[in-house]
Amino acid sequence: MSWVTIIWSMTASACLTLALVNFLIWCRQRSTWANLLFALMAVATAAIAGFELAMMRAVTLESFGLALRWLHVPAWVIVVSLAWFVRLYLNAGRGWLLWSICGLHTISLILNFLLGQSLNYWEITRLRHIPFLGESVSVADGVLNHWMLVGQASFLMLLIFVVDATAAAWWHGDRRRALVVGSSVAFFVFAATGEATLALWHVIQWPIVASLPALVMVGAMSLELSRDAQRAGQLAGELRETEQRMILATEAAGLGIWIRDMAGNGIWASDRWRELFGFTKTEPLDFERFLQRLHPDDREEVRAAMEKAVAGTGHYKKEYRVMLPDGGLRWISARGRIEFNGDGRPVLARGTATDITERKRSEQEITHQRNVMTHLSRISTVNELSTSLAHELNQPLTAILSNAQAAQRFLAQDAADLDNLREILTDIVAQDKRAGEIIRRLRLLLKKGEVQQQPLDINEVVQEALKLVRSDLLNHGAAAHAALAPGLPAVTADRVQILQVLLNLVMNACDAMAGRPAGDRRVILSTESADGGGVCISIADKGTGIAPDHLEKIFEPFFTTKTQGMGLGLSVCRTIVAVHGGKLWATNNLDRGATFHVTLPIATETNP
Amino acid sequence: MSHIKQTVFIVDDDPAVLKGLSRLLNSAGLGVKTFPSSQDFLNYFIPNTPGCLVLDVAMPGLNGLELQKTLAAKGSAIPIIFLTGHGDIPMSVRAMKGGALDFLTKPVNDDELLKAVHIALEKDRRALRARAEVAEMQQRLATLTPREREVMVHVVSGQLNKQTAADLGTVEKTIKVHRARVMEKMKVHSVAELVRLAEKVRIGKHLD
Repeated sequence: MSWVTIIWSMTASACLTLALVNFLIWCRQRSTWANLLFALMAVATAAIAGFELAMMRAVTLESFGLALRWLHVPAWVIVVSLAWFVRLYLNAGRGWLLWSICGLHTISLILNFLLGQSLNYWEITRLRHIPFLGESVSVADGVLNHWMLVGQASFLMLLIFVVDATAAAWWHGDRRRALVVGSSVAFFVFAATGEATLALWHVIQWPIVASLPALVMVGAMSLELSRDAQRAGQLAGELRETEQRMILATEAAGLGIWIRDMAGNGIWASDRWRELFGFTKTEPLDFERFLQRLHPDDREEVRAAMEKAVAGTGHYKKEYRVMLPDGGLRWISARGRIEFNGDGRPVLARGTATDITERKRSEQEITHQRNVMTHLSRISTVNELSTSLAHELNQPLTAILSNAQAAQRFLAQDAADLDNLREILTDIVAQDKRAGEIIRRLRLLLKKGEVQQQPLDINEVVQEALKLVRSDLLNHGAAAHAALAPGLPAVTADRVQILQVLLNLVMNACDAMAGRPAGDRRVILSTESADGGGVCISIADKGTGIAPDHLEKIFEPFFTTKTQGMGLGLSVCRTIVAVHGGKLWATNNLDRGATFHVTLPIATETNP
Repeated sequence: MSHIKQTVFIVDDDPAVLKGLSRLLNSAGLGVKTFPSSQDFLNYFIPNTPGCLVLDVAMPGLNGLELQKTLAAKGSAIPIIFLTGHGDIPMSVRAMKGGALDFLTKPVNDDELLKAVHIALEKDRRALRARAEVAEMQQRLATLTPREREVMVHVVSGQLNKQTAADLGTVEKTIKVHRARVMEKMKVHSVAELVRLAEKVRIGKHLD
């Protein structure tokens, strides 16, 4: 068998094999368009090899001309699919150039069938036999078709396009790919068009052998594609490894994993998750079943949180209680992410769940202890105030008693003045209400209720505190003044606890001024907007001030400079303010005494 | 003499208490005048105005005890009844030492208050009467000659005419004449009466 037959048929079969492999890859995974284009290129290369062989073996002018004319069809396939392959594979290349190449080469293909005997020859005059690879092959003599330049121009554009795309891919950092694809395409264009041109003009005595550089190019690209396949395999292996590690990590962390199908509402969950929620390993799961497992008070909130995540950021985070089938209660912290499709519709939600029962329990314990502490401290404050409050209560009682006894005496007299009696009764009712108000205030302070965070007008709380300490101030021979800024924003706070803080601070101020002359015992309570949002309350006294190294110490538990008292008041005050997200601190005044500052953040929606 | 007009002055910073107390005292037929602060009272009050004072201890500004002191400094002897929400012992001791007539706790019962007020008014009346008597005696004393005063001092000290005569370097008979003139001018009929009168105006001390 001759070398020509061996080389060209092997070229064709190699290309067909590669084409088949890549076509199969594309069949498996339709998104790998590069593989399909490559397969087309390889098939076209095989076809070119076939036509070239036919030309070399041609015995008549007609058979040579026919083979040459039809050779342009696979050539067109190569150019178009090559341009698109480069575009897809390197993810680079200018669109207008791409379309121009396709257009121009299509024109050259049409010309190929319309003008002369082919794009190359206007007319083939005779066949010549030249020696090639140790045998005699046919080449043509004739009038060249100058429209051939259209085809060559499209090849030149392809070259420019590929060089440009290669450079772009190189800059993007995809260097290896760019180099392999760019250089092999450039080699093909150079070698194929160069050799064909030289052969057609008889500069060299060779037949047209474009299929050989095409084979080189196809081979190089195939290596690159197989590298991709190998890399994909490696990635799959690594992914499996990562998955294993992740499962290990989630199990070690006690994380349960869940995935919710947003369309079908079904839930897939890991064994750990099922264990956390008290489901068996095989029980079917859906969102409603999941909700039923939750504490009734939490169900709506969880549903709302999920809906909010779907409608908003796609992030879901919630803490809730699970009612276990054995009657137990478990606190769960769940977080997840919603995945959307191209239309923005939710497809999947996936996330984790952790058991936070222990943390919740200790949090509740701490909160409980803090509340007990706060309440005890408040009772102690009220105890200190009790004498004054008793006096405060005595005022309306005195008024009521004397009015009532006056009325009795008026009635005992012969001509009772009814108008006078009516007035007396009105006053009695008013004073009774006043006494009731004092008792209500006292009861509020002593109540051991739940902490109630609500929007508060801080000025109102300051006024309330001043009413409560009025008598105490009187007993200390002190006076209090309020300087309240109007139109302050509301703060979210527990009214009683803030009242407690203010009472403590005012009573401390009184104590600090005990040694001062009566006229100097003044406390000023002022409110203003704090820097950076929020409200600031200042309690300034004209007392002895605070030793500089005590400015912070006074807030420590059991630190006291008084002969009476446990030294808990200020530390409890600071805790209360801190729980409200605010700050409490003390400064010495420039002239005399000290000022205590309380800042509280303003009410916001997210503030619980 | 017992029908001079007396007023009960009440000082308390609480308007409701003022109104109630004033009605109660009115119902007992007493004349009342109320003041919301010590300062208001001081601005109005003239010492020796007949009446008594019902005074709250705890008040802003000048408190009850301070008002008591101020009145004493001005030479007022008006009887004071203190009212307090919480009568602690040191405070009441201070008040009583300052001459307070009574120390009542709020809320005060009508009988208790009226009794205290009546006692106070009676005391004020008596003081008034005493002051009038003293003034009368001072007037009578002023009519005595220096010699007659010397004789009177000796008489009220319980000396016999003979001793007096010896002390003053004269005879018993002259002393007898002086003594008769003293009794006449002082409008008394016995030595015992003269002694009592002298005690009232503290004549012994005065002449020593």
